[in-house]
Amino acid sequence: MSSPALRGPAWVTVRQYRRTLWAALALVLLALAAVAALRIWDARYPDTALENGGWNPDPDNRAFGLLQWLLQYLGMGLALLPIAVAALVAGPMVAREYESGTYSLSLTQSVSPAAWLRSKLLLTAAGASLTALAGMGVFALGWSRTGEVGYFLWAEPYVYIPTGAVLFAYLLAALAVGALIGQLVRRTLPAMAATALVMGLLTLVLGAYRWSLMPVETVTGPAGPTLWAPGNGLVMDTGLLTSSGARFDESRCWEQINNAPGIDTDPQAWGKAQAQCFADHGVVSQYADYHPESHFWPTQLIESGILLALAALALYAAFRVLRARHP
Amino acid sequence: MTAHTEGIALEADLLGKKYGGRRGGWALRECDFALPTGRICALVGPNGAGKSTLLALAAGLTRPTEGTLARPARDDLAYVAQSKPLHPRLTVADTLRMGRELNPGRWDGAAALRVVEGGGFSSDTLVHHLSGGQRTRVALALALGKRAGLLLLDEPMADLDPLARHQLMGLLMADAAERGTTVVMSSHILTELEGSCDHLLLLAGGRIRLAGTVDDLLAAHALLRGPVGDLAPHTVVDSRTTGRQLTALVRREGPVEGPWETTEPSLEELLLAHLRTPEGAPA
Amino acid sequence: MVEYRIDRRSGVATYLQIVQQTKQALRMGLLEPGDRLPTAREVVEATAINPNTVLKAYRELEREGLVEARRGLGTFVRATLGTTAPADSPLRGELAAWARRARAAGLDREDVTALFTDVLAQHFEGDGEQ
Repeated sequence: MSSPALRGPAWVTVRQYRRTLWAALALVLLALAAVAALRIWDARYPDTALENGGWNPDPDNRAFGLLQWLLQYLGMGLALLPIAVAALVAGPMVAREYESGTYSLSLTQSVSPAAWLRSKLLLTAAGASLTALAGMGVFALGWSRTGEVGYFLWAEPYVYIPTGAVLFAYLLAALAVGALIGQLVRRTLPAMAATALVMGLLTLVLGAYRWSLMPVETVTGPAGPTLWAPGNGLVMDTGLLTSSGARFDESRCWEQINNAPGIDTDPQAWGKAQAQCFADHGVVSQYADYHPESHFWPTQLIESGILLALAALALYAAFRVLRARHP
Repeated sequence: MTAHTEGIALEADLLGKKYGGRRGGWALRECDFALPTGRICALVGPNGAGKSTLLALAAGLTRPTEGTLARPARDDLAYVAQSKPLHPRLTVADTLRMGRELNPGRWDGAAALRVVEGGGFSSDTLVHHLSGGQRTRVALALALGKRAGLLLLDEPMADLDPLARHQLMGLLMADAAERGTTVVMSSHILTELEGSCDHLLLLAGGRIRLAGTVDDLLAAHALLRGPVGDLAPHTVVDSRTTGRQLTALVRREGPVEGPWETTEPSLEELLLAHLRTPEGAPA
Repeated sequence: MVEYRIDRRSGVATYLQIVQQTKQALRMGLLEPGDRLPTAREVVEATAINPNTVLKAYRELEREGLVEARRGLGTFVRATLGTTAPADSPLRGELAAWARRARAAGLDREDVTALFTDVLAQHFEGDGEQ
């Protein structure tokens, strides 16, 4: 994979990592072949129509289940791609140069240290983004078939990350964090481990707080039957409302229910006591806080913004460290 | 940081380098020297004297802790580290192509090939499969192909057999003859440098013990043999007595008068005498 | 063209070895006026000695009027060192005849060298090159 258009440090980097590039291409093609084959196989079984106008895959259609299973792993693979890229940059690309001493070769040519690091990062950014883009295409090819079955799936990490812009933001953050940790740790394996840990934690923390970034919307309904969020909404919280519209804390009834006569012997007593307590406090309706599917893109953009800010900070620090070490 | 003084390739002013933060030791301290352009300089000293540190500072790989070092810009110097680092997964041809890619406009492929030739390996060999001496050849080829004004070579000949050593030293000297290249070569094998070097930097314990042209340094010293006696006003660098016979290497103050047989020391005798004296002895 | 052989253990300064070997080549007729001496580059590539040493030797030869440097072209022989002895000269013949007689008289190579050096020292006292 060496193109005559490549010059200077870019040529060197591509030459060194051509096997990695070939491996990425092979993986993408393998995934494409598998998804395409499953879609062709799946197309041989007509779906079963449901009374409500929906559909279900044919009971004999094993391809559909396999496709769902494959997409789950493909989506997880794409969501974890930034961690792999971060480890590659921190370990083999940066720390190994220090560990094996080749930095003294690279940094004494006619190319400045900053240009050397910049070239590595730009090429990795290009390679990783193209891989991600191709992977997202393959995922979309499968998802356009299986995505309609199942609720709230758009918010699952293995779908949310590989179907939005946030994957590219994760990749950029991965490059920057890799470049910084690689220079600080300077030993291949520890640098890879530390970087994977940092990126893994970042992915977990953002995953945990992702749905706190946007204000939720609320739907209300009469107390009693299950309250569904409209559309394909992701329900965050549900609860009861009093006639004044205030949210009712159900724990306030626990004492009253526990002290109700016959609570330990009469199976009906619990329900009666609860209904009595709710009536005493004027509970009349329930609510659900949820994120409508329309929150997908705003959340993606806010999360991407956070990641890009982190990437910028780490990148600035990485080039500062480089400059401080090598005049 | 370019060498601002006309005709000086490398100039250190109270240069010092400390490793390992606050508790670390000084690898180099209070180094003052000026190396004129076009010299072939031997950087000698025992292991741990600070030779590699000085070369890495000159190559711009690390910053000095104190003092300054005026040196050529990055594109006008070439450096070969002691471990001869190369990318193991590139072929020899790719490694030389790397030299061209990273030094656009100044790379001399023919000069690089002259160094690689005679190494007994084909250009599509992976660097990974080369022997120590063959790696040295490729590393030197990268350095010479760059056509730099200052060559910094850390133990360049250590892995080479005598034939290769002679051939590569010849190529190095030819490059210097043709282009006036300044060369700084570290070594602890003194015979490897005698005859090739005309300038000397002797380091011991992180400090400069001797600096100057070889001819001047040899002329400033004398090797005396004769009866035991007072050698004043000359400064004794190293002396030995066997019975009534005295052998001493002195830094002379004017002509040596006395009952001694006086000869000019060889470079090796001079270096050994200075290395034998404990630190802090007159330099 | 001459090829220099440098002996680092001889104790003779390297530049003097070049001067002496050049003169020897002039005496033996291996170098004649108009011949070019090898360039400094050629000498150091073959011998791995310092280029300045070669230049110093050539300057010495130039100072003695034996060679001249022509800018950009090289260093050329100007004069022969003359009185000796192409292979067929009468002096060489006499010496060869003497050597045969010495050998017939039972002297070995070292005896002959010692004798020759002694006679040289007597007749050329104070005219050394150094």
